[in-house]
Amino acid sequence: MGKKMLEVKNLKTKYVTRFHEDVYAVDGVSFSIEEGKSLGIAGESGCGKSTLALSMMGYYFPPLHYMSGDIIIDGANISGMKPDDVRKTILGTEIAYIPQAAMNALNPTQKIIRFLEDVIRAHDPKADKKEIRERAQARFAELGLPKEVLEKHAVELSGGMKQRTVIAVSTILSPKVLIADEPSSALDVTSQKMVIKMMRELMEKGYIKSMLFITHELPLLYNVTDDIMVMYAGQIVERGSAKEMVFDPVHPYSHGLMGSILVPEEGTRGHKLAAIPGTPPNLKKPPDGCRFAERCKYARPECRFGMVLEKEFGEGRMYRCLMGLDELKEVYDNE
Amino acid sequence: MKGYKKYFGKKIIWFLITLVFAVLLNFILPRLMPANPVATITGKLVGGSTDAAIVQQTYEQYMKEFGLDKSMPEQFLIYVKNLLRGDLGVSFSQYPKRVSEIISSSVGWTIALQLPAILVGWIIGNVLGALAAYIKKGFDKVLLPVSLFMSNIPAFAMAVILLVVFAVNLKVAPLAGGYNYDMIPNLSWPFIWSVITHYQLPFWSIVLVSIGGQAIGMRSMSIYELNADYVKYARFLGIKDRKIVGYVFRNAMLPQVTGLAMSIGTMMGGALVAETIFSYPGLGTTLMKGVTSADYPLISGSTLVTTLMVLVITFVLDIIYGFIDPRVKAATIE
Amino acid sequence: MKNLLRDIRRSPRFMTGFLIFLFILLVSILYPLLSPGDPLAMIGRGTFAAPGTYVSLYDATSAKTETLLLPDADDKRLAAAMSDADRAAMINYFTLSGVAIDDLDPQDTDRMIELWQEIFDENNMPKMTNAQRRDFRNLDKRLKELQASDTLYVMDMGEDGEYEQRGSVSKTDYVNASAVANAKTLLLGTDNFGRDTLRELIYATGTSLLVGLVAGIVATLIGLSLGLLAGYMGGIADDVIMFVTNLFTVIPGFVLLILISSSVSQDMRGPSLVAVIIGLTSWPWTTRSVRAQVVSLRNRDHVNLSKLSGHSMLRIVLSDILPYVASYVVMAFILQVSSGILAEAQLSMLGLGPKTTTTPTLGLMMNWAMLYSAHTNGSWWAYFPVILTITLISFSLNLMNTGLDQVFNPTLRD
Repeated sequence: MGKKMLEVKNLKTKYVTRFHEDVYAVDGVSFSIEEGKSLGIAGESGCGKSTLALSMMGYYFPPLHYMSGDIIIDGANISGMKPDDVRKTILGTEIAYIPQAAMNALNPTQKIIRFLEDVIRAHDPKADKKEIRERAQARFAELGLPKEVLEKHAVELSGGMKQRTVIAVSTILSPKVLIADEPSSALDVTSQKMVIKMMRELMEKGYIKSMLFITHELPLLYNVTDDIMVMYAGQIVERGSAKEMVFDPVHPYSHGLMGSILVPEEGTRGHKLAAIPGTPPNLKKPPDGCRFAERCKYARPECRFGMVLEKEFGEGRMYRCLMGLDELKEVYDNE
Repeated sequence: MKGYKKYFGKKIIWFLITLVFAVLLNFILPRLMPANPVATITGKLVGGSTDAAIVQQTYEQYMKEFGLDKSMPEQFLIYVKNLLRGDLGVSFSQYPKRVSEIISSSVGWTIALQLPAILVGWIIGNVLGALAAYIKKGFDKVLLPVSLFMSNIPAFAMAVILLVVFAVNLKVAPLAGGYNYDMIPNLSWPFIWSVITHYQLPFWSIVLVSIGGQAIGMRSMSIYELNADYVKYARFLGIKDRKIVGYVFRNAMLPQVTGLAMSIGTMMGGALVAETIFSYPGLGTTLMKGVTSADYPLISGSTLVTTLMVLVITFVLDIIYGFIDPRVKAATIE
Repeated sequence: MKNLLRDIRRSPRFMTGFLIFLFILLVSILYPLLSPGDPLAMIGRGTFAAPGTYVSLYDATSAKTETLLLPDADDKRLAAAMSDADRAAMINYFTLSGVAIDDLDPQDTDRMIELWQEIFDENNMPKMTNAQRRDFRNLDKRLKELQASDTLYVMDMGEDGEYEQRGSVSKTDYVNASAVANAKTLLLGTDNFGRDTLRELIYATGTSLLVGLVAGIVATLIGLSLGLLAGYMGGIADDVIMFVTNLFTVIPGFVLLILISSSVSQDMRGPSLVAVIIGLTSWPWTTRSVRAQVVSLRNRDHVNLSKLSGHSMLRIVLSDILPYVASYVVMAFILQVSSGILAEAQLSMLGLGPKTTTTPTLGLMMNWAMLYSAHTNGSWWAYFPVILTITLISFSLNLMNTGLDQVFNPTLRD
């Protein structure tokens, strides 16, 4: 077993709306990523996966609020740290983020190199301008980006180029953990492939030590990450290796999701996760019992009471359902 | 550089086109109207005279003098020819003074008063608006309604209020004019001091009314920018909030430059009226004199010069904007 | 739609603005109904009578009197009769006589009178000019009369040309103000022509609102139709309309307003014509924003569907596009009304306002007040209420507008 780069223990965070209502978007999430590994998180929009990404940065500003749990990066717990210390010593250097709307992530009126200067100097105020430029040029060349990009404003770049620039900027300080929130969703197929290739390169060349990849496109995860977690209503409902998750999903929700995908080959895309009728529960007031019970074909009366705990099985696998593995297998086979 | 060339070329052509149309409108609008200005003025001049011959003679003399006896196209040619020589005709009310003479002695006062005042108001308004958006809470709650109220006080009303408070009641500022009436303009210290004291009230009345509107615009722009994705992204890369506010401020300010270019005409219109309250020796007062004495050449000359000023300022702001916003360059390349 | 109305009702900004505006509107509609009459009737001969209740002196002498013994009546009478000029003259006398008056407050009537009686000597006034001596003697005489006389006699010239006493008024005689046959409360006094400023103001508010409304309707109608046309048609129509619109955005509307207004002969220039001229020069903003909205709507699914169904252009514009730009049009209209009122005021300030002998406007009132120097002679009631009304109308309309803006664009909410 490799060294744990990121470990999250029972993390709970909430949103506070304009009307002072609490929305429990991340409700007791635990998992870990080892060095050199990548983990994918899949789920419908609104399941809390993007919030989970933000929560893991350890840097909270309204409307997002930290409630409880631990975030441990390479053995150091950051959840109790002061925000300013997190900003100085963790963000960008230990853990980095690629936002969902990468298209608009760069300040339109600033040259890329100026932004890189700001990023590097936020952690090393004495960094020399010339050194920064050289470092940036070297890294851009290494990642196959033309160095002219550095002298341009974000508005002058094409969509795909913007996205790759954001990835290069995010990882300029070689973070231990990279969190990518739908980094390729808004792109055309060619750009998407280039982005994926770039993420792989980052791992191979050691610029990042582990990666968390969030998407609603399951087939993509199969090709990119080692493991996959499925998230529903603020909780993880199943976890396993990419292969197991695609070919042998256990939880009724994952099963439903994978149902539409038969042969997940590279390039297959566009399968949305909403193949299951119904909508996720209101997280302002999460229901008792299993949160999926409302939409589950196999739900029984007892599913709606108490708490459903995570059950571990096999090699690092986990699922969250009252039914036993055999029961589930039988139900699926009978369909 | 190619992008810039195209942008500036476009702006210059546009400037010239608007210029031509402005001159055309200035010429044609008064002549389209049913009432004949010369009839009005001769009616005034000859007063109660019942001698039809004298009335007729005066009328024809004026028609000729102002070239109104010729056909429209001919009149226009003469008008443009005179215009190119800087000749705006002869004033009715201050005959035989030339309009260009009257205006050139007042236009400097207006420029020296309005441009700095509008600029200062713009800057203060933007700073307050950005602060309101950033600090929010109490500051925003107080500042927004106050700005909203202030921005709705017309410039002339602000002028009257300042005049009554500071000149009439507190007696710390002079009542009217651009300098002491018993002085002759020169470069001596007493005269310059007199100009400065007379400058204060008109200046601040324009500044105060400009602040509110700008603050409100800047606040909305800043709130919009503060919610932009790049703010969140920069935060997650560990960049200090103060630096990010710098990004936001700059980006929110850019549309404000265009906003200023678009509203400068309205602002100057209001400021011209405010000038009259102080009898400030600028274009506004000149215009009012022209109106009260039905002095057509003077009115038309003043409006033309006002339009020219607005056009030039708009053009300069457009050019500045092209330099400071990279999006302009990107847009012209596409 | 129901939700939208609820959101609008819940917006504190909109409601505040709406209530202020409604109040002003109702007053300007109801007052003329309840108290009809000519707003420009000159009820006073002088200029700028101060606000207050005016009681007919003539009627007061024949009203039934009551005797009241108010303790400070004498002091008040004396204080009111001594003008600031009198007090300054007294101070001047003290100074010339070499009396130490460092701690003397000129407004302290008691001490002033006391000191005067002590010091003033008719026959001993050295170091003074003859004119000064005469003035001081007159002042002393007046002060003595004020203190001495106890009863005023009301005389009338009889048929034989002799005066005969009709009645007498003692210092302790009081009449009930409501018992006097003629009394008039002028809350805002009179203006430079001796007209009731309050009545004038309310009528002027009504006219100005009407001017704003007409200007707003004209500008919005032109702006909306051009915007719809340019946005929906695209192509050459769009190019031409936008060219003209841009032209009129750059050439200041205010200048056009002056040019047109000064060219229209004075007798034609009534409030409604001025309103139309204002409307004709202020549409470009509306055109721009409506066009931008329409362009973004033009290729929406429901519009395309309507096109495929073979609906006429008019029908598509009216039923598939107009409802979506309605909110913007309402907001633009509100702003147009407010800027129309302001434009009228500014025009009038320059002397280009409506020519009228029947209805005042806010701008005209302001113009009259300035022409007669109300601001420098302390007659605040002639201009301040006008300024306040213009500002409040504009403020309330803009509040409504920002309230609506927040409802329609949720990101602007705090």
